Amino acid sequence: MRARAVLGGVLSSVAVLVIGWQVGGQTATTASPPTSTSDTSGSGTSGSGTSGTDASGSGTSGSGTSGTSGSAASGSTASGTFLGAVAQTRYGPVQVRIVVSDGTITDVTAPQLTDADGRSVAISAQAAPVLRQEALQAQSAQIQAVSGATFTSEGYTTSLQSAIDQAGL
Amino acid sequence: MIDTARPAPRTAPVPRSSHPSTPHPPAVVEPWDVAARRRRRSGRRRLAMADLLVVATWASAAVAVALWLVSPGSHTVTGVSGVLTDAGIVAGLVATDLVLVMLVLAARVPLLDRVVGQDRAIAVHRSLGKPVLFLLLGHGALLTLGYAAADGSGPVAETIALFSSPDMPLAYLGLGLFVLVVVSSLVAVRRRLPYEVWHGIHLLSYAAVLVALPHMLSAGSVLAHGSWQRAYWIALYVLSLGLIAVYRFVVPVVVSLRHRIRVVGVEPIAPGVVSIHLAGRDLDRLGARGGQYGVWRFWTGATWWHAHPVSFSAVPTVDRARITVRDLGAGSARLGRIRPGAAVSLEGPYGLFTTHARTAPYLALVASGIGITPVRALLEDTDLRPGEATVLLRGTDDRQQYLWRETAALADASGSAVCAMVGPRARSRPSWVTEEDLRRGVTLGSVFPHLLESDLYVCGPQSWADLVVQDARRAGVPAHRIHHERFGA
Repeated sequence: MRARAVLGGVLSSVAVLVIGWQVGGQTATTASPPTSTSDTSGSGTSGSGTSGTDASGSGTSGSGTSGTSGSAASGSTASGTFLGAVAQTRYGPVQVRIVVSDGTITDVTAPQLTDADGRSVAISAQAAPVLRQEALQAQSAQIQAVSGATFTSEGYTTSLQSAIDQAGL
Repeated sequence: MIDTARPAPRTAPVPRSSHPSTPHPPAVVEPWDVAARRRRRSGRRRLAMADLLVVATWASAAVAVALWLVSPGSHTVTGVSGVLTDAGIVAGLVATDLVLVMLVLAARVPLLDRVVGQDRAIAVHRSLGKPVLFLLLGHGALLTLGYAAADGSGPVAETIALFSSPDMPLAYLGLGLFVLVVVSSLVAVRRRLPYEVWHGIHLLSYAAVLVALPHMLSAGSVLAHGSWQRAYWIALYVLSLGLIAVYRFVVPVVVSLRHRIRVVGVEPIAPGVVSIHLAGRDLDRLGARGGQYGVWRFWTGATWWHAHPVSFSAVPTVDRARITVRDLGAGSARLGRIRPGAAVSLEGPYGLFTTHARTAPYLALVASGIGITPVRALLEDTDLRPGEATVLLRGTDDRQQYLWRETAALADASGSAVCAMVGPRARSRPSWVTEEDLRRGVTLGSVFPHLLESDLYVCGPQSWADLVVQDARRAGVPAHRIHHERFGA
């Protein structure tokens, strides 16, 4: 009877693991966050393990205006694309770009996200769409951190704030 | 010395009139084959349920791994740091799952008690302690090394960095508490600790489980915000801690308040042995079956802080119950000085040393010393046909014949055979019988004519009982028919 219990335990465990593997595989292929429809170049965000590498503005840290192609007019009628400063985190640099139309943030992309290792990439891939959605809703950098992605979230909000500052929103 | 005559009564406790020591009038006896079928069926059900619980435990550990498998990035682990980190995550998930299993095993859930018995559940709980500790230490070490490899820093610098991360100091605290709890429970350490100290340390495991939770939810990528994985994990926590809260705290309080048990008399029945007579309301509705025990607490100044696991020495009636205690420790010695009127709280009744566990047509009962108490109560609770049960009473000397007279009277009334064997254990080789009986070739098989068609119930000192069980196994009694109450566990 003990043998039956152990056998049942092993079989059920294997079944659970196989299901987990299958579900996980599907998630991995569909988990890439929706990239923005912004017309700026280098809009590819994370999700495929290549996040951040295609960013044109990588390495700029705190330079403020690099890559900005908009008019930061006074008041809240700014339009254009604004690239936030690079925020350094322990899992890699984070940089956020926003698209502003008539003083409204219409899109947020992240040319660079934490990518120190596979785990960081995975965390970024998971956190980026959540953070983007939050930013679009809040229209500010006052957004909640995504749990499990504390460092990514911190870097994200820092860079986002810098981009918003540039846009003069 | 073996004889089938009545043992010489040494102790003569005259039962109170309301006391349940007068045997039941034989009820309508179930036909032999019907009873056998019923026992086989219930035995199979119990075994199936026990197996199902084992399967569920395995599956829960597998689900913990699956949580990681469905998390993004788990299929694309690369590099030394990735492997270390993910191995650490899996170790942490499995360890936590098993810690929660350990909580459930220690929660005294009625289902577990009915299916495997509380002592078996605790044995499994104990066996999980060390593996879980290794998994937890591995979790910490692997993640530290993994992060260090990713950052290109050393383990020490990484530990300092981790310490400054949110919720991580609590996680380290939890780990430290787990180490303390497990180390204090190692046999060599626990033997040196007073029970209360060990118990106090053990209660810290609740704190350890709780302070470990925040870092799983905030720092872990597996249990992301708003995910079903997170909901599942929290549900596991709520379930296991809920079972602890309900069955270890709420139910005992409710039982104690409802039945209002108090001491009505303390009766010395032998040197160092007292029967404590209890009164209360609706005690028959405690559901105590003969052979079960309770964890008792006597609310007097000198005894309230010590809980005593003690068997009922008689099946409770509507308003009376009785337990019989030998002073095995400092705490139980004080029980002899309790005054009538003292309030009593009860956790229980617990235990599978009852006729519920029977699967065979005959009944063989072996009791030594104070181990007589559950056997005495079990005999009272059983509707036996003449010749169905055989009782072997074992004592080191004449003074150890506690409750023998009552037991003999119960056996007499049900037509059961009683043997007594008095004398110290054999010295020539390890044996549960006396030297003289060893020479005469007395074994369980010779004492119990239907041993292989019997359920064998053994209660007595641990080392002695182990020898009886060994003898029974050698004679060919299957393990599931050997019922062994480990008292003092």
